[in-house]
Amino acid sequence: MTTTLEKPGATPPGYSPEEWALRVELAACYHLFDYLGWIEMIFNHITIRVPGPEHHFLINPFGLHYSEVTPQNLVKIDLNGKIVGHSDYPVNPAGFVIHSALHANVPDALCIMHTHTTAGLAVASSKRGLVPTNFYSATLMSDIAYHDFEGPSVHDDEKARLVADLGDKHAMILRNHGLLVAGPTIPDTFELMFRLDRACEIQVATEQIDEGILISDEICKTAASRILNNKRPTPPGQAAVAGKTAQIFFTAMARQAEKKRLAAGLPPNGSF
Amino acid sequence: MTTVLNAEAPATGVTECSPEEWKLRVELAACYRVFAYLGWIEMIFNHITMRVPGPEHHFLINPFGLHYTEVTASNLVKIDLDGNIIGHSAYPVNPAGFVIHSAIHAAAPDALCIVHTHTTAGMAVACSKRGLVANNFYGSAVLDKIAYHDFEGPAVDDAEKPRLVRDLGNKRALILRNHGLLCHGKTIAEAFDLHYRLQRACEVQLATSNIDEGIMIPESIRERSRNIVLDAGRLKMDAPPPPSPQKLFDAMVRIVDRIDPSYKN
Repeated sequence: MTTTLEKPGATPPGYSPEEWALRVELAACYHLFDYLGWIEMIFNHITIRVPGPEHHFLINPFGLHYSEVTPQNLVKIDLNGKIVGHSDYPVNPAGFVIHSALHANVPDALCIMHTHTTAGLAVASSKRGLVPTNFYSATLMSDIAYHDFEGPSVHDDEKARLVADLGDKHAMILRNHGLLVAGPTIPDTFELMFRLDRACEIQVATEQIDEGILISDEICKTAASRILNNKRPTPPGQAAVAGKTAQIFFTAMARQAEKKRLAAGLPPNGSF
Repeated sequence: MTTVLNAEAPATGVTECSPEEWKLRVELAACYRVFAYLGWIEMIFNHITMRVPGPEHHFLINPFGLHYTEVTASNLVKIDLDGNIIGHSAYPVNPAGFVIHSAIHAAAPDALCIVHTHTTAGMAVACSKRGLVANNFYGSAVLDKIAYHDFEGPAVDDAEKPRLVRDLGNKRALILRNHGLLCHGKTIAEAFDLHYRLQRACEVQLATSNIDEGIMIPESIRERSRNIVLDAGRLKMDAPPPPSPQKLFDAMVRIVDRIDPSYKN
């Protein structure tokens, strides 16, 4: 089976090919989050900047489940959360405060994902926070920031503190609240969220036994440098996979999500 | 019921494949499907590898970029101990992923099949200071087969290989600290069977740890468990035959075969 993500179809009227491709990719990502259970009813967001000089973003329509998101019903908004063009659906204005703060101020935060998974929230709500006791957290220790809870983020005055707390990191644990990751593309950001969420799941499980074996700072640094680029030479005779892991990973998992959707009678992603 | 694994002619895409190799490909592809069915999967990562019969040290591994439910007999990739692809493959392999497997395949002559997983329960025990303990039926049975290897970061460096081999010693299971589980066997069924018992040991230990530290099973009882078949023989009792890994594996293959027989392609 080949998904629209792997073999793009025609672009429907009213969209540039670039924006349509991005909408298909973002819809696939919402479906994948649903497939993986990284969902909180109709809440939370995955946002991506639309290419171009305008600071425009795509976000999920408020009131729809992630499984109901399509390339067409993704809503285009500006940094103030104002809808650009027409949308049949509103957006959740409260939900975009965190995303817009980071999209506006962090240059490589083109894609932002935020979740309320139970394991993520458990670590975020714990005094201990994320600890380097497993394979995944070891790769993340140098890229994690924390932001203290101020209540649901609806006030613009929190934005400056969110930006300052993220600093030059790509993952942020919103204390008492949940997980957030930022990256240049949807696959890269997904891969980061996968490691962060698994790190939390395994930490929660490990702590049922004991506090876990702490991995040294040195090995954490090694782990981080090795994981990102699949740092092993590709043997001759095959396509290089170094630097492509996130794309290969996202495409494969999106295919799993799409198979399940098709089996459930839902239309293929990107059909119109 | 007979096994659904059979050695029919290879489908297109696999060249120079002996009937023995094709049979092994079908069985290994089935094993990937069984792992997926049991949830012993980590998205598209991890590997189950099997040595191809013959004097060459060639191995079959999953194509990188496919989910375990997409692995078939013909898309399994044949590689050598350095991870070089033998013949043609439409898919790459994950070069980083084969370091641990190749170290053990090269050094342990009876490690023909190696399975490695990142299950949550397996990782939790691997990450704990306590490690695996004999406080349940399964943990008690597998404890003597277990070795430990300390975490050095994702295994992409050949320098780690001698330490992996040294730490494994003559055991058949390795708890990769902070990382996950690894088992090997002479056959796919043997490696599967041991992983099943180790995984259950970890699941049960994790659940028990929510209550308390558990009732430790004394060595005398564990010794008795090990000798139960021998004892039965001496006492002329009607002891059940030891559980056959192949019977267990074949039963699981029948399940996945009913769900989706495309692994045989």
